Formats: sequence, C-alpha cells, structure tokens
Amino acid sequence: MSIRQMIRFPGRSGLGLVALGIPVVMFVFLGFTAPNFATVQNYANVNAQIAALLLVALGQMIVAVSGGIDLSVGSVLSLTSAIIVSVDPALAVPAALMAGLCVGLVNGIGVTVFAVHPLIMTLASMTFLQGLALLILPVPGGDVPDYLEALVRFTFLGLPAAFYWCVLAVVATWVLTSRTRFGLRIFAVGANDLNAARNGVNVTMQRITCYVLCSFGGVLAGLFLSARVASAEPTMGVQYGLESVTAIALGGVLLAGGIGSVPGVIAGTVALGLMTNGMNLIGVSPFIRAAATGLLLLSAVSLQPRKTIGA
Amino acid sequence: MSKDTEQAVSGPEKASPGRTLVEFAGISKRFGSTAALTEVSLRGGHGSVHAVTGENGAGKSTLMNLLAGVHRPDGGTLRLRGDAVTLGSPQDARRHGISTIFQELTLLPNLTVAENMFLGREPLRFGLIDRRAMRRAAQAALDRLDSRISPDTYCADLSVGEQQMVEIAKGIAAEAEIFILDEPTAALNAPEVEKLARLIAQLRAQGKLIFYISHRLDEIFRFCDVVSVLKDGKHVATHPTQELDHERLVALMVGREIGTLYPERRPQPTKRQPRLVVEALAPSAFGCAVSFRLSVGEILGLAGLEGQGQRAIIRALAGIEPPSAGTVSKAGRKSGDVEHLPASIVATARAGVGFIPEDRKIEGLYLPLSIRQNVALGMLRDQSIWQRARISGNAIEQLLAKMRVVSAGSGQAVGALSGGNQQKVMIGRWLASGVDVLLIEEPTRGVDVGAKAEIYGLLREFADAGGAVLITSSELTEVLGLCDRILAVRGGALVAEFTGTEATEEQVMHAALTGGIEQEAVA
Repeated sequence: MSIRQMIRFPGRSGLGLVALGIPVVMFVFLGFTAPNFATVQNYANVNAQIAALLLVALGQMIVAVSGGIDLSVGSVLSLTSAIIVSVDPALAVPAALMAGLCVGLVNGIGVTVFAVHPLIMTLASMTFLQGLALLILPVPGGDVPDYLEALVRFTFLGLPAAFYWCVLAVVATWVLTSRTRFGLRIFAVGANDLNAARNGVNVTMQRITCYVLCSFGGVLAGLFLSARVASAEPTMGVQYGLESVTAIALGGVLLAGGIGSVPGVIAGTVALGLMTNGMNLIGVSPFIRAAATGLLLLSAVSLQPRKTIGA
Repeated sequence: MSKDTEQAVSGPEKASPGRTLVEFAGISKRFGSTAALTEVSLRGGHGSVHAVTGENGAGKSTLMNLLAGVHRPDGGTLRLRGDAVTLGSPQDARRHGISTIFQELTLLPNLTVAENMFLGREPLRFGLIDRRAMRRAAQAALDRLDSRISPDTYCADLSVGEQQMVEIAKGIAAEAEIFILDEPTAALNAPEVEKLARLIAQLRAQGKLIFYISHRLDEIFRFCDVVSVLKDGKHVATHPTQELDHERLVALMVGREIGTLYPERRPQPTKRQPRLVVEALAPSAFGCAVSFRLSVGEILGLAGLEGQGQRAIIRALAGIEPPSAGTVSKAGRKSGDVEHLPASIVATARAGVGFIPEDRKIEGLYLPLSIRQNVALGMLRDQSIWQRARISGNAIEQLLAKMRVVSAGSGQAVGALSGGNQQKVMIGRWLASGVDVLLIEEPTRGVDVGAKAEIYGLLREFADAGGAVLITSSELTEVLGLCDRILAVRGGALVAEFTGTEATEEQVMHAALTGGIEQEAVA
C-alpha cells in the first residue's frame, strides 16, 4: 500500500498523519519549551497520568467502533473508587467488577433492546451513578486495600507499574479488536448493523458486550487511580467520560462507528496527556486546561471526515 | 423420472433441466390479512438459471425470502435435494447451501473482501481468527470466478459490480449450490452486466442452480433457461425461455397485451404553443449548447446512450446543476406572459416546473414520512414559510385514489411502498402543487409493468390537460412508446429529432451512436 493510499484510506484504523502527528509534534514542542519536560521523572509522571485515561479510552474505542458512545464510564470510575473503600477489602475488586458488569449490561440493553440513543442512555446512567457514588461515599477518604496499592507501586526492570498496566491493556485490547471474531464483528456492526445481522452477526449481543467491556475499562481505571493516590474520591472520574471521547477522536476513531484502532487510541491519549502535562509544567491554570479540553474535543471531532467509512 | 417426463408436455414441472434441487410444494405465506403466496409449486434443478418474475407485489421476493430463510412458510413444504427442510434464519439457509445476493448488497465497506466473505463464520485457530486460512479460501473462491479482485481490498474501494462479484464468491466459498440473485443488474452499468452474464454462465456450468429475480425482460431471455411467472401470489406458469417471446411473457405477467402499455397519442397540432424555450443552454459538464422548445400538451423524450448528456441537460434545466451559459424561459398560461427562469431549483419549482430525479429514494422522497406528508410538500410550494400551512387532506386522498396508489393508507411510510407506488407519490407531489411542466429522469426505473402503464397514463393525462413533460430514459422502447417527439443526444449535443409515432428503434439508435446522418432540423 503506497503512502498516498494510506493517507486517503488508511484501512479501518483511522490512522492518518494527523492522528499520529499530533503527539509527535507536541513531544518535540514541549521538549524545547517546557522546563523539566525531558526528564525520566517527568516521563514516569506522564505515564502515570495517562494510564487511567488510556484504560478508559480503550474501552471507549470499543463502544465507538460499534457505533455507540459511553459517557457514563467516568462515573463508573468514581463508583469504583467509592466501592473499594466501602466493602470488605477481600471483596473490593469483585464488587467493583460486578458493579461494572451491571452498568455495562444496563447501558447495553437500554441501547439495544429499548433502542434508547446511546448519548441519552449513558448520560442518564452517568448522572445516576455519580449520585450513587456520592451516596456510598459522601466525603473523600477511606483505606484502599494494600494489595491494590502494591499493584500500582512496584517497579520492575526499572519501569513503573503504570507502564505495565498500559501494556497489558493495550495488548489485550489489540488482540481483542484485531484478532478475534468479536473484534471483527464490532467493525461490521459499526459500519452497518443491518448488513452485519444479515451475515449472521448477533448485533444485540455484540453491542451489549461492548458496553460491558467499556465499563470494565472504567473499573480498572478506578482501581488504578484510587490505589495510586491511596485514597478514594467519589468524583474522581468526572472528566474521564468526555476526555476519553476526546482522546479517541484525536486518535482517528470515527465516532459514527466502524473505524478505529488501538495505536490510534494510544496516540490520542498521549496527545491529550502531553497537553495536560505541558500546561502543568508551564504553569497554566487547571481551569484553562479544562476549557482547552473542550475546544480540543470540538476540533478533534470537526477534523474527522464527515462522510462515513471509506471516503 | 418417467412421471416427470409425462408431465413435461404441458405441466410447469417440465421446465427444469437436471436433477431437482429445490422444490416448493404448495407453499403459502400470509402477512397479516394479505396472502402473499397461495399454494405455489415449482422446482429448480442443477445447472439451470431459473427466472422468477412477475409484477411488484406478485410474490417473487416473498418466495425467494422463504428460500433465503428470511421468512417461514405458513403452509406447504420446501424440499432441498428431496428432503423437507425448515429454514429458520439466513444462517440456516446458508448452511443448507443457499446463497442470497440481495438487491441491496450486504458487504461491509470497512472489511476486506476476505473478511466480508467469512463474516459470521470466521475460521478460527487457537480461538483467534485464522487470517491466513481465511485469505487462502477467499482467494480460491475468487479464482474460481476468474476474478482479479484481491482478498485484501477493502470493499469501500470496490465498484458495485465488483461487490456483487464478491457476494457471489462468498456463496462459492460457502459451497453454496443455490444462488438467489435479486434484481442483480439494478445498479450495474453495461460492461458490468456483461461480466455478470459470464459469471452466471460459469455458475451454471458448475452445476449450480440460480434463481434470477427480475422483471427486466431482456435479461430474462438472455440469462435464463426457464422462467416462472407469479401473479398475485399464485404461480401462473413455468416455461423454457425459448418457448416464449416478449409479448407472451408480458401477457403472462400482467394478463394483458403489451400494446396497451402506452396510452394513445393524440396528433400534435402543427402550430405548437411553446411552454419552455431553451436557448443555448450549456450544461457545465458538456461544452455543447442546446436549444429546443417544449410545447404545451407534449411529452418530449431525450434519448441516447447512457452518459451522453441527457441527464446533464435535464438537470441544468431543473436548476440542480446550474449551466455555464444559456437561458430558459417559460410561457405562462396566458399568451405573452413569459418568465425568465434563473438557474436554481427553488426558482424553477416556484415557477411551476417539477423535477423528478432518477433516484427518488435519495433525491426525491422522504422515505420515513407518510405518503400524505410527501404529497403535501407539493402544496407548500408557493406558500410563505411564515403562513399556516394550507394542506387539503381531501385533495390528497382524491389524488392518491385517482393515481391508484396501492398502500395500507395514506399514513403509511413511503419507504415501505413498491417502486411503482413511490414513483406515483413523487408525481402526485407535483400534481398536488399545480405545476404545468414536469422534468422526469427515468420515469419508470424500478417500476413493474403494471404500474408502468399507469404512470404512462398519468403523464399522458397531464400533457393532455395542458401540461408539458420532458423525460430522459435509457429504455428506448419507453421513449418510442410514450413520447410525441424524441431528441437524440450524443456527446452533450442534440443530434436528431424524431416524431414519436414515426421513429423506429433503429433510427434513434443510429442517431445516438453515430450522430445522426438522417438528421432532421432540430427545433
């Protein structure tokens, strides 16, 4: 495949010069302008900062490729944080996973069986779950189980735990989306659900599974983040719903469905992470950072090809 | 076998060459209160191309959907290779060796050819997709069709004809013995049709049974060995195509002779009153400027090979693709009342010129809206958007009844109607709006024979009542049968003019091909 073709139609990966170029440009730019950017310590920081977003964004990508969107995933992150300090430490992880499963099932069934628009469905569950998290844990605090803290604190071969979390999530999602039946079929469903069904794909099951996996991404991010700060916070995930959408849009995932890739999600997440990191280093107010994320989401989505797949 | 041979003399069973592969025995199917199929019995054998034809709504699609596993019959038995089977789903049908190529192709644009061919039954190795095996099997299937399409191409990059080829290869890869082709040429251009013809011949040579659903008579005679005709859900007859000709087949389909397909033309007055005067109109896609008049009471046809500029001319006139030069003026009902038409679709519609596009589903109708709403749009033509809409429900109902639109009621979504009824709704919208000129691209594309006759009748009635109609059509018989005057188009220029009643197919074709040696003065 020639470079020309790659730019015109990069398969169904959505990878183009823009998606891959933004993080590279940012990296070079920050290397020259931001103080203390090019240090090992800062790289580790960036890695830790984007790990949670990456976990959420990978799940968001699966939903987006199937033609949906999950705004509730940030609230799942918050709920996870609230749950793990409120139950018996031995049950923390299973309880959080169970909650994630329930949320995913409800979102998925709402979108498929009851044909609620994904935006409305997950906006509703986002609001509901945020309330639930605050009910369970009205004030930040609590004791995160020690084994969870150990899982995010270790270093191995000189690399921090966050790195391994990322690698595992990336490899698992890549195998799932590129090498399994499930993965191929979500692309089919996202492109045209009717035709996917005509070819023997169970569209309903496929979609529900996508939402469940996305919720699991939120749960993992919640576990990781709570363990890292060694404390729970019921509003920890507030910005993750939109940030994950921004990250995948930057990474060339078509929000209309059918196009997207794991490398793209990495690129988008890194780009967003670098922006945050750079603003921190330069000393920009966090409020401006929030405003910038909004603008970035708008421009990332606007830059996407409006025409559907193949154009 | 001897019993079969006996029946062969007169019975419909005779027609299938080769061993029987599929047998419909007394199949019935109802949808709600309507009987879609009533005790249909027919069979198809190995190595034959079996046309299933009839008007829209005759039940041919329903019959094939039963075989494709989309619907289940309410009565009767479906036998495959002699055994009674129940096909519960499309997958079930596929497992029984039945491959359906729907009119709307089912390939996914973001999947490769190989992925598309194996979607739903991807080969696995250690729980993961075995891409190499999938690719190899896809290549083998494509090779058997002598196709040069690469299994790694994304289907978004394929033409419609190539996609159809992939659909057929998909059936080959699934070891299908029975192929159902539903109106396969609807979206193909001429070279692609040639290719399809070769593909069908290949499948037949490999001993496959092909059910060919179509109401295009030429194709039935060209491609098919046997033709079964359905009418109103009943099996009318099955004959080898050699024993039939166009007229007899049409007579079987509609129960009337082809002569009555076109309404009678009244002799045109020698001094014609012009309605549209087109002067030096140059469609931007073609360099040539064309000048002609469209007169009151006439149906004028633009004929020629496809892509020669008929479409560009009519679209420039309608204001959809504004021309690079030229003027169009329209004479009102009162003499001397002449209006210059600016090149914009809004202006032409305001001035009482209705345009009916070739692809009514995309450019014309609002498919999810009701028939009533689609027609009512026409009534809003010259109303200000701030006014309360004045829509007369009675007028719409009368119009629909007059046009004989067959539907479950005027509240039904237009998308659920047959092609012929959709076209009537399209025409109805402009009639409701009171236009006096209609510009129509391919007036009967995707319309069955019965509805065709009714649409021709409507257009003639419109012209007789003082309207004027300009059509483009790739069906020469239609132009010859319907139009009062015919303009042959070649390379964007008008090369010849004919009188509808006198022109012959040869003359018009000759002009369209060579530029018209026997050219008469172009008006």
